[in-house]
Amino acid sequence: MSRTITCPVCGRRNGYEFRFGGEDKGPRPEEEGMSPEKWFEYTHLNDCKAGIRKEWWFHRDGCGVWFTIFRDTASNREVVRPPERELEAVP
Amino acid sequence: MAHKTKRLWKYQPLKSSYDAVIIGGGLHGLATAYFLAKKHGLSNVAVIEKRYIGFGGAGRNTAIVRANQRTQENLPLYREALQLWPVLTKELDFNLMFHNCGNLNLFHSEAAMKAARLNTASGQFHGIKSHLIDAEECKRMVPALDISDRPRYPILGAMYHPPGGIVRHDAVVWGLAKGASKHGAHIHQGTEVTGIEVYKGKVAGVHTDKGKIKTPRVLNAAGAYSADISSRLLGAKLPISVLTIQAMVTQPLKPLLNHVVSSGAYHCYANQTLKGEIATGAHMDPWPNYTNETTAHYIKHQAEALTEFLPCLAGVKFMRIWGGLADMTPDMAPIIDGNEPVEGYYIDCGWGYFGFKSSTVTGKYMARYMAEGRCPEILKPFALSRFKEHRLMGETAALVNYTPDN
Repeated sequence: MSRTITCPVCGRRNGYEFRFGGEDKGPRPEEEGMSPEKWFEYTHLNDCKAGIRKEWWFHRDGCGVWFTIFRDTASNREVVRPPERELEAVP
Repeated sequence: MAHKTKRLWKYQPLKSSYDAVIIGGGLHGLATAYFLAKKHGLSNVAVIEKRYIGFGGAGRNTAIVRANQRTQENLPLYREALQLWPVLTKELDFNLMFHNCGNLNLFHSEAAMKAARLNTASGQFHGIKSHLIDAEECKRMVPALDISDRPRYPILGAMYHPPGGIVRHDAVVWGLAKGASKHGAHIHQGTEVTGIEVYKGKVAGVHTDKGKIKTPRVLNAAGAYSADISSRLLGAKLPISVLTIQAMVTQPLKPLLNHVVSSGAYHCYANQTLKGEIATGAHMDPWPNYTNETTAHYIKHQAEALTEFLPCLAGVKFMRIWGGLADMTPDMAPIIDGNEPVEGYYIDCGWGYFGFKSSTVTGKYMARYMAEGRCPEILKPFALSRFKEHRLMGETAALVNYTPDN
């Protein structure tokens, strides 16, 4: 059993070196036309998908870089970027 | 010495229509079914459980009950929950093994003692017994505690909360299933909900892998899977993150802990079960996942934390470790809502690790909500809209270091 995360700078490292940074929700919404509703959706709402998804990580006890990876929440393992057709289902 | 055994709940075939369908055969689902059938005459109810009843958080929590929460909105709910254990033991005719041993929350700094003063006062305002004691008094109550200045964080005092204790969690599952079944509710284990049918803005039915069900009411009480179900089947996302929480028990020992002892600073709680094992836990892996994996990382951490304030446990062996899922909200308070985003759809989730102690009382009020269609006062503060209005509850004193928020 190995829970590892691959840092783009340091390579594959122990998962406990990293901090989870949330689901990938795309770019931060523009200030123009911002509403409490939009901000609520961006800050609080999650897909909570049991399966493969794209998410943010931070190499806290390492080089300090922020990056995205794909991970399967049903198996708790980092996975390689899924093929394009499967990727469509990943938000 | 053969004696006849009787099933606690009946096996029933899946009907094509019910007055209400409850997703999740955990404690919240079973309690709601029980109160719907018993109190509101809505006995044509089905509980749909993907695995078996009590598989999830209901059978994985560490069985601690208490009402020393922080906020005005939460306190009355947990107070009533504590009062319900003896009532339900009688009503269900099933021994829930409520062990009213009281909870001792240890504090290791002046700041924590100060926060506890407010916490205690809030409880007392709602008629909940809690009081502060100093380190010597802690030592008198639990002689095994180390109150010297040897630990990194010495004990300064504690909040003693006499009405809390331990309840046998499996017994609550079985008792509620027995009661719900007796009053006519159907329990379908090994049945997965695959879709929620909506017609003209109203819930019309539920699809399962065993067939379709017509129903005007659906309760999503699927615990850790609530948010996935809500987002996948209805496109309604929730402010939830699902994390694994781990717990473990030591080998059985002679009686040494007669209270639930916990420490926020060490992030550790411990109680001695009636079998003599020390049950302890509190750690969560700080990233969302749906597995019940356990890690050596936390066994080590737990051993270190526990032996800091209970040094006599050094060398005692851990016998078992297990994991369960906790659906965490940003303010550590649940999401209870109805008729949102469609009429007839109810949710009761986001309990994090407070789902056990709150299960029966929430089921009681959720049943009233579903039967009458109006939200009872006591549940109103937990509506999803609080996040839209950015009025989060202060159920945590500070951000805890294992949420995805920090």
